[in-house]
Amino acid sequence: MKEKKDKNILSVRNLSFSYNSRKVLENINFDVKEGEVVSILGPNGVGKSTLVNLISGVLEGYEGVIEIEGKDIRKLSSEDIAKLAGVVPQSTYPAFDFTVHEIVMMGRHTYTSRFKAEGKEDFDIVNEAMEKTKILQLSKRRFSELSGGEKQRVIVAQVLAQNSPVLLLDEPTSHLDINFQIEFMNLFLSLNKNENKTIIGIFHDINLAIQNSEKIILLKEGRVFNSGRVEEVITRSSIKSVFGSDVFVGRNPVTRKLYVSPIFSPANSDNMGNLYPPLKKSLKVHVIGGGGAASPVINLLHSRGYNVSCGVINTLDTDIETAGMLGIPYVAEAPFSPISLNSQEKNLQFIKSSDVVVLPGVEFGPGNFSNLESVMEAVRMNKKVIVIDEKEIGLRDHTGGKAVELYRKVIENGAVVVKSEDEILNYL
Amino acid sequence: MGTGKRTLKCVILLLAILILLVIIAASVGAAKISLKETALIMLSFVPGFNNLVDSASIDSQNFVIISQIRLPRIALSIFVGIALASAGVIFQGLFRNPMADPYVIGVSAGAAFGATIGLLFVKNSGPAGISITALFALCGALATTFLVYNIAKIRGKISVVTLLLAGIALSAMLSAMTSFIMIFRVHDMAKVVFWVMGGLTSASWAKFNILAPVVIILVVVSGFFMRDLNVLSLGDERAAQLGVETERVKKILLVMASLIAAVAVSMSGIIGFVGLITPHILRLIVGPDHRILYPASAVAGGIVLLVSDTMARTVLMPREIPVGIITSIIGVPFFLYLLVKSKREAF
Repeated sequence: MKEKKDKNILSVRNLSFSYNSRKVLENINFDVKEGEVVSILGPNGVGKSTLVNLISGVLEGYEGVIEIEGKDIRKLSSEDIAKLAGVVPQSTYPAFDFTVHEIVMMGRHTYTSRFKAEGKEDFDIVNEAMEKTKILQLSKRRFSELSGGEKQRVIVAQVLAQNSPVLLLDEPTSHLDINFQIEFMNLFLSLNKNENKTIIGIFHDINLAIQNSEKIILLKEGRVFNSGRVEEVITRSSIKSVFGSDVFVGRNPVTRKLYVSPIFSPANSDNMGNLYPPLKKSLKVHVIGGGGAASPVINLLHSRGYNVSCGVINTLDTDIETAGMLGIPYVAEAPFSPISLNSQEKNLQFIKSSDVVVLPGVEFGPGNFSNLESVMEAVRMNKKVIVIDEKEIGLRDHTGGKAVELYRKVIENGAVVVKSEDEILNYL
Repeated sequence: MGTGKRTLKCVILLLAILILLVIIAASVGAAKISLKETALIMLSFVPGFNNLVDSASIDSQNFVIISQIRLPRIALSIFVGIALASAGVIFQGLFRNPMADPYVIGVSAGAAFGATIGLLFVKNSGPAGISITALFALCGALATTFLVYNIAKIRGKISVVTLLLAGIALSAMLSAMTSFIMIFRVHDMAKVVFWVMGGLTSASWAKFNILAPVVIILVVVSGFFMRDLNVLSLGDERAAQLGVETERVKKILLVMASLIAAVAVSMSGIIGFVGLITPHILRLIVGPDHRILYPASAVAGGIVLLVSDTMARTVLMPREIPVGIITSIIGVPFFLYLLVKSKREAF
C-alpha cells in the first residue's frame, strides 16, 4: 500500500524553455514526492504540455535541472528516461494498422535489445498491463477498429508496460465521454494507491483535476503562479488571476472536495453589455436571505456590479455560502437558531444604509419571522422594497398565518411586486 | 508465436520461391535450355554439391550462357529488387506514409541528372566494371539526398514534412535541368531516356560484385532498427516518450535508405513501383510489424524484380523492354486488385 511520502521523486529547478526565441516556461520550480497525485493547471498555451514534454525527455535544450529519482535527466538516454516516466497522451494515431498486442508491446521498447526479440518477461508484463486496463479480449484486434475509449485503454496499457514509477498524464481523457473520464481517473488513482505510482497530470477539466489531486501546480504566463495543497491554490482570486474567469469555488456537498463552477453572466462580457440598462454602480441593494432563495438574486445583482449585502442567514445556509464565495457582506446567525435581536439589529443597519431592499421567495417560520418584520421596517423607512412573488406566500408560511398577514401589509404599503428575479433590474 | 519465428518462417518460404524462380528464369531466353540442365549447371556452383553433378552431361555452351550471361543479370536484378524494396519499407516507415517510395527525397532526379551529365559530356569509361554513367548517377543521387537532408535539418532535428517538400522541389528542379541539357543535345536524347526508363541489360558479375556487398551491409544494418521504426509509426513525440532516440534513429535510417536507393538507381536506372508496391503487398500479407515486413519485403522485392526482368528480356524476344515498364504495367494492376480486395487495410 501507499508508502510514506517523504522522498522527492521529481524535482524541477529553475527550469526555463523557449521555442525559437519565444519564452514558454520561465524559472519553474517544484517538487513532487513519491506516490503523490499532482495536477498542473493553467490556461491553454501556458506551457503545460511543454512541461510534460520536458520531464519526459521529449524536448531538449532547456535551462535548469530536471531530476527524476535523483537522476539528472539531461544525462540520461531516452531509453532510461522512459523507464522512469511514462506519458499518457491525449490521443495516438499509428500510421500503420498494428494489432492491440503489438501496440502494447511497444511499451517494452526501452527494455528490449536491438538484437533480440521480446522475451517471456515482456509478454507477461504486457499481459498484466492489458489485464489491468481490461483489454485482454481485444489483444488480436486491429487498433484502428477500436472505439476512442478502447484505444485510450490500449495506450494506458502501453504506458503500464513501461513499468515507470512516474506517470505523466497529458489530458488523457479530454476526447472521451464522462463515463471514460471517471473510469480512467479511477484507474489512475488505483495505480497510485496499489502500486504507489506517482501521478502528474494535466487535465482539461479543472474539477477533475482538483477533486482527484493532492497538490496543484498553477501556471500563469509560463511561471508557477502558486503551488501546494488544493485548498491553498484554488481560490476564487487565483482562478480569476490565472484564467481571467469569474468562478465560484465551493465544496461538493457529497465529497466535501473543492469544486469550481463558472459564473455565467452575459453582462460580464463586453460585447453584450449594451443589451442592459446602464449600470448605477453606487446603488446599494440589501437582499433578505434564507434557504437558498436569495442566491440567484445575489448572483445576478453582484454580477451586474451592484453593492449587494444579505441578511439574516443561518450559517450553513446555501445563501451564506453564495455570499461568502462572492465576497459580499452578510449578517449571519448561528446554525439552526432563531434570529437574535442582535442580528436583527445588524440587519436593520444594513437596510438603513441601502437604497433598495429585495425580498426573494424565502420560506418563513418562527425562527426567521423577524426578517419579514425587517422588510416591513424598510417600507416604513421609505426604502424602495422589491418583493419577488414567485411562489405564493401561503405556501411559504410556516407561522400559522402571521407571515401571510405581514407580507400583505408590506405589499399594501408600497412594495414593488415582481414575478422573477430578472424583473428586479427594471426597478433599479 | 514469437516475432522471430514468424519472420524466419516467412523469409524461408520466400527464399524457396526465389530459388525456384531463379532456376526458371535462368532456363528461359533465346537459347533453349531445359530446366533440368539449368538446375544441374547451377548446382555445380554450390560447394559440396558440385561433385554430384556429372560435368559430361552439361553442354559447355549452355554453361557459359547461364553462368556468364543469365546468372549475373538474375543476381543483379534480385539485389536491385532487394535494395528498392528495403529502401521503400524504410521510407514508408519514416514518413509514416504508405505513399513514400525510395525516390521520394530526390534520389531518382539526382541520379538522372548525374547520369545525363555522364552520358553526354564525359567520354572516358569508368573504372573496371562500372560505367562512368553509373558513377555520375551515384554522385547525383547522393548529392541531392545530402542537400535535401540538410535543408530539412533545423537545429539538429529532421522535419519529415520539410524533407518531403524539399525532395519534391529539388526533384522538379533537377528534372528541369536534365531537360534543359537535352535541348542542346537532342541527338543524344534517346540515351538519356533509355537510362531513365531503367534496365539491367548491362549486367555483369563485376557490377554484381560491387553492388551485392554494399546492399547486403546496408540492408542488414538497417534491419536492426525495425522495432524503432514500429514505434516511430506512432509519431516522433510518442516514440520519444516510449524511449526511442528519435532523431538519431531517423538520421541513421534516412542515410541508410538513401544510400541503398542511390546504389540501386546508379546500377539500374530508375525502376519504378517495386519500392512502392512490394512493401504494400507484403504489409497486406504479413502485417505492419517492420521486423517481419522488412526482411519479407526485401526478399519479395528480389522476386518481383527478377520476374519483371525475366519478362522484360523474354516477352518480345529478341527485343528488350525496359524493366520499369514491366513493373508498372504488370505490378500496378496486381496491386490495385489487392488493394480493392483487402478491405482490412484503411490507407
